[in-house]
Amino acid sequence: MASTPTQTPKDPSVFEPRIVAFLCKWCSSAGSDLAGVSRMQYPSNAVPITVMCSGSVSPVYILSAFNKGADGVLVSGCHPGDCHYLKGNYFARRKIFLVQKLLSFIGIEKDRFRMSWVSAAEGAKFAQVVEEFVRDIRTLGPQRKLKAKR
Amino acid sequence: MVDIVNIRAHAKDLLEKGTVKMVLGYQRGTAGVLAEPAFITDAGQADHLVWDPTCVQNLALYLVNEKKAQSHQRDPDTRPIAIIAKGCDSRAVAVLLQERHFERKDVHVIGVSCGTLGVVDKNKLSKALNGRVATKVEPHGTDSFKVTTAEGFVDVAAADVLADRCLECACAYPAMHDVVFGEKHEDRGYPARFTALGQLEAKSEDERWAYWEGHFNRCLRCYACRSVCPMCYCPECVVDSIELMVDPTTSADEKANRIKWIERSAVASENSMYHLVRAIHLAGRCIDCAECERVCPVDIPIRMLNNKLEKEAKDMFGYEPGLDPELPSLVASFRDDDPNSFIR
Ligand code: SF4
Ligand code: SF4
Repeated sequence: MASTPTQTPKDPSVFEPRIVAFLCKWCSSAGSDLAGVSRMQYPSNAVPITVMCSGSVSPVYILSAFNKGADGVLVSGCHPGDCHYLKGNYFARRKIFLVQKLLSFIGIEKDRFRMSWVSAAEGAKFAQVVEEFVRDIRTLGPQRKLKAKR
Repeated sequence: MVDIVNIRAHAKDLLEKGTVKMVLGYQRGTAGVLAEPAFITDAGQADHLVWDPTCVQNLALYLVNEKKAQSHQRDPDTRPIAIIAKGCDSRAVAVLLQERHFERKDVHVIGVSCGTLGVVDKNKLSKALNGRVATKVEPHGTDSFKVTTAEGFVDVAAADVLADRCLECACAYPAMHDVVFGEKHEDRGYPARFTALGQLEAKSEDERWAYWEGHFNRCLRCYACRSVCPMCYCPECVVDSIELMVDPTTSADEKANRIKWIERSAVASENSMYHLVRAIHLAGRCIDCAECERVCPVDIPIRMLNNKLEKEAKDMFGYEPGLDPELPSLVASFRDDDPNSFIR
C-alpha cells in the first residue's frame, strides 16, 4: 500500500493530515492572522485559501479539494449577523449543510468536512478549530474515497 | 379518467385560433411501447396526440430547448407553447418560471392528472410480462393496467410496474395549469415519499460508500442524465468547459491553464465528482421526474442522490421545489433559524 505523501519530510510513516481551509477575508482569515501574530501554537496542517466571503465558496471548490487529495476541508466565515456582505454567511450555511449531508450520504466520513464561525478577534478559537480538526482527521486516516486516482 | 378526445379537442382549438405556436405532447412511439414526444404545430395533427401510462417523458425539457433556439432566431415566433404536463412536469415548469427561464405568459400548461396511477417503468413492465412484448398499456380501474401483448390481454397490478417515482409521488395532480384533465386523489395508497431513500440511508457508512462507489465506477459519463434534465440548461457545464476556443494560435499555456474542475476520464473519482456536482446543482430544483435515472444506460440510481437533497431541504428548510414560482429558490434564500448547530 502506497503511503500518502506528506508535507513533513521528517517521518513519512506518520500520517500528516492535509487540510484545505477556505477562510473569508474579513473574519476568519484575519482570525488566523491573529493566531499567527499572537504566536499561538497550532498544527500547520491547514493550507489557508482566502476567499472574499464564505458565501462565495462553491460546493465545487470543496469537492475539488477532496478530489485533489485533501484529507479534510474547512470552510470558515464570520459569525451570523457579522458578514461583511450582510448575508453571505447565511447562504453559505445552507449550501454547506447540503454538501455535508450529501457527502455523508454517499459514505464520506462526516468529520472530514467542517464549517466554523471565526471572527477577526478569535485567534484562539481558530487555533482550537484547526487543532480539533487535525486530531479528528488523524484518527480517520488519509482520505482516499474521492481522491483522484491518476 | 382522462379522455384523450378532450385533450385533442383542446389542442386543436388552441392551434386553430393561433393562440399557441406549438403543442408539446405525446404520440405513439416507433420504438417499443413507450410514447414519444410530439411537437404539434398544425391543428390537423392534433389527433396524433395520445395520453396513457406510457407517456413517461418530462416535456419541460423542450420548453427550455425552444427558448434556447429562439435566442438564435432573428425573428422568433414569441407566441406561447402549450405543454401537456403531468404533476411532476408541471412542477418542472414552475421551477423554470421561478428561475425566470421564461415567463408565465410564454407557456400554456395543459395539466393531466395521473389520478391513482402514473407512468410505467419499462423494465418492470417487461419483467412482469415474463418476456412477452407489450404493445399497449391502458389504465384499468384505479390500481391496475390492461396490457396488450401479441398473445392477448394481461392485467397487471399498478404497484408492480409503476415507475419508482410514481409510487412515491405526492403531486400526481398538476397544481399549476391553465386547463386540467382528470381528478385529484388525496390518498393514492402507495408507499410514503422517500421510502426507498430511507432504506438506503439506514445502511452503514461503509455500505453506503460501497454502494455508491460501485455505481459511480460504472458511469460512462455519457451525460445522458444531464441532457435529459430540464433544469440542466447551462450553456456550458462546469464539468466540461467548452468555451475555450482552440485554434492554431492557442498556446499550450492557455490550454493548460483552463480551469478544469473535473477530468473527463470516466474513472471512479471523477465520476463521483460529476455526480456530486450534478446533485448539488439540482438541490431545490429537481422535481423528481426521474428522467435522469430512466435514460441512464447503466442504471445508476441517480434519483436517490436527488431525493436525498430534496428530503434534507424539506426537513431542514421547509423547502419544496416547484410549488410556487414566486418563492425564492432554495440556495438563494435563507432563514435566520436555519440549522446552525453543525457549525463549530
Ligand atoms: S449516470 Fe448514467 S446517464 Fe449519467 S453520465 Fe453516467 S452513465 Fe450516463
Ligand atoms: S435531476 Fe433527474 S429527476 Fe430531477 S429534474 Fe432533472 S431529470 Fe428530473
